Amino acid sequence: MEDSFSEKQSLELITGMINKAKNKFSESGTLYLVWGVAILICSLSQFVFGNILGYKNAYYGWFITWIVYIYQAIFLARKKKNQKVRTYTDEILGYVWICFILCFFVMIFILIYTKSFTLIYSAILVLYAIPTFLSGAILKVKSLIIGGICCWVLAALSMFIPLQYHLLLISVAVIVAWIIPGIYLRNKYLAQNKLAQQF
Amino acid sequence: MFKDLDPILHSQLRLAAMSILISVKEAEFTFIKEQTNATAGNLSVQLNKLKDAGYIDITKQFKNNYPLTVCKITDRGIFAFEEYVKALRSYMPENNK
Repeated sequence: MEDSFSEKQSLELITGMINKAKNKFSESGTLYLVWGVAILICSLSQFVFGNILGYKNAYYGWFITWIVYIYQAIFLARKKKNQKVRTYTDEILGYVWICFILCFFVMIFILIYTKSFTLIYSAILVLYAIPTFLSGAILKVKSLIIGGICCWVLAALSMFIPLQYHLLLISVAVIVAWIIPGIYLRNKYLAQNKLAQQF
Repeated sequence: MFKDLDPILHSQLRLAAMSILISVKEAEFTFIKEQTNATAGNLSVQLNKLKDAGYIDITKQFKNNYPLTVCKITDRGIFAFEEYVKALRSYMPENNK
């Protein structure tokens, strides 16, 4: 690169470089898909084994989530290791999901402590909506924004639906809020990588 | 009235590196090298000039036993970059009518 260049070229260079860095889309959608599928399996299995087949310990299926937590920790550690650039978007998204996890556990604790078991699934739906909606707004991904709004609608609907069907609302929520946007993000990420390999 | 352009920033490679660093929180040396298509030696010299001017912070670490250089823009760097862009705008024909 030569040092003599015009003011117009300077502005073009700045714009080009900022766009290059800005378009570095690092969200692969993997965790949306993994969590979406895991929660879908857990909620459906609890609904089928508990509400239809009448097993008392149908909630055991939720222990799968611990495997997903371990996978997530490994996945994030690997991602950090391979990441050459850290954007402000990555940082903000990280904080959004930390807030969600903290709110989730505090809310579950409060609901169990106060024996408000009937509200657990509605509260979970409200909480699912927050990081989904915010991630959609930050990443400018419409399907996540729509998914977040759907979670809030489902949470409101849960007030009019018998408790035994609330697990089905959770299943619908994770399909709309995490699995569908997860597939979209995955395809976008793979397309970006394919494009990057061509140049 | 034309404003003076900051000579530290008015160099293609240094400006390219600063433009990348203003858009991200931090970036590895290899990332800046890939984006600017510069040689490692030239980029290293230019980044050190930016560091000496106080526009960026350079941290040297180790990752998997390999040296890793991470660059981050400073508040002074952000201010200088903004002033540079303001000065550039004064050169645009629409601002000189």
